[in-house]
Amino acid sequence: MIAEALPLNPIARWEWVFPVVESVHICGFTLLAGSATLINLRLLGVCLRRQRISEVAAGLAPWMWSGLAVQIATGAFLFSGDPGEYLQVAAFRNKMLLIIIAALFQFLVVRRATALGREQAPAGSDGLIALISLALWSAVLLAGMWIGNL
Amino acid sequence: MRLLQFCTWLSGTDFSVWLREAPYPYPVLLIIHLMTLALFGALAILLNLRVLGLVLPRAPITYVLQQSRPWKWTALALLTISGLLIAASDPLEYYGNRMFWISLGLLALAAVNAWYFATRTCRTITLWDTAERAPSAARWWAWSSLGLWIVLIFVGRAIAFF
Repeated sequence: MIAEALPLNPIARWEWVFPVVESVHICGFTLLAGSATLINLRLLGVCLRRQRISEVAAGLAPWMWSGLAVQIATGAFLFSGDPGEYLQVAAFRNKMLLIIIAALFQFLVVRRATALGREQAPAGSDGLIALISLALWSAVLLAGMWIGNL
Repeated sequence: MRLLQFCTWLSGTDFSVWLREAPYPYPVLLIIHLMTLALFGALAILLNLRVLGLVLPRAPITYVLQQSRPWKWTALALLTISGLLIAASDPLEYYGNRMFWISLGLLALAAVNAWYFATRTCRTITLWDTAERAPSAARWWAWSSLGLWIVLIFVGRAIAFF
């Protein structure tokens, strides 16, 4: 309905635009989830143990945040195709909420746990923080897939 | 022709019908497929970026390789199993889908690409293992691998479009 009202939006005009933008969305997801996963696995202590936690986190953070930027840009583009319809889908609303929670958790909690100098005073909660972050990003993916499934 | 007969038979089995029509198997398979794709793709991209000197430049390349190996194999196994089951859920549909065959071809190219890295590029790795940026032959390999993965994602997504 709104897509019809916006005939100039390329995503509503040409059929192939949607899958192409969605493919970029999947590439961005790989970048975002992949770097977040590695940071969390390092925080859990299950890989790259010879590299400092802060070094792994600092090295991957720019890739993670650029991935998030790609996701927001392509996601907004996909959303613009039919905003009214998406807003009515519960999975879509859940996903938006989960993204905000996951990104805030990453920015406020994980970033602090992986900050420079943290190696000197590792906290017992680090593993838990890593697991929560992994669960949150997985939930974002789950909700995202459900949007297409319903 | 024999493959088409196999697909027709498979498509009529209870298992295939169940995969196709029960509410949960398909989305669950798709989720496993995408999550393991993300993990595998991310580790492949990480290695490429490391070879290019863009990520963790102080970690030896063989160390990054060795650390990511168990995760990569686990992801690859789950990726393959879920992919085969997704294909088994509607064999006739995939049989006639050009993008599906192209993506399988690209997958074979990715395997050749990985084999090339392991057997050719890595032959001299002791010389540049700890270098911030690998020599240009290895960097060319990294770019080709990155490009291949991106094309694979596009073609994989296009399977559902065509």
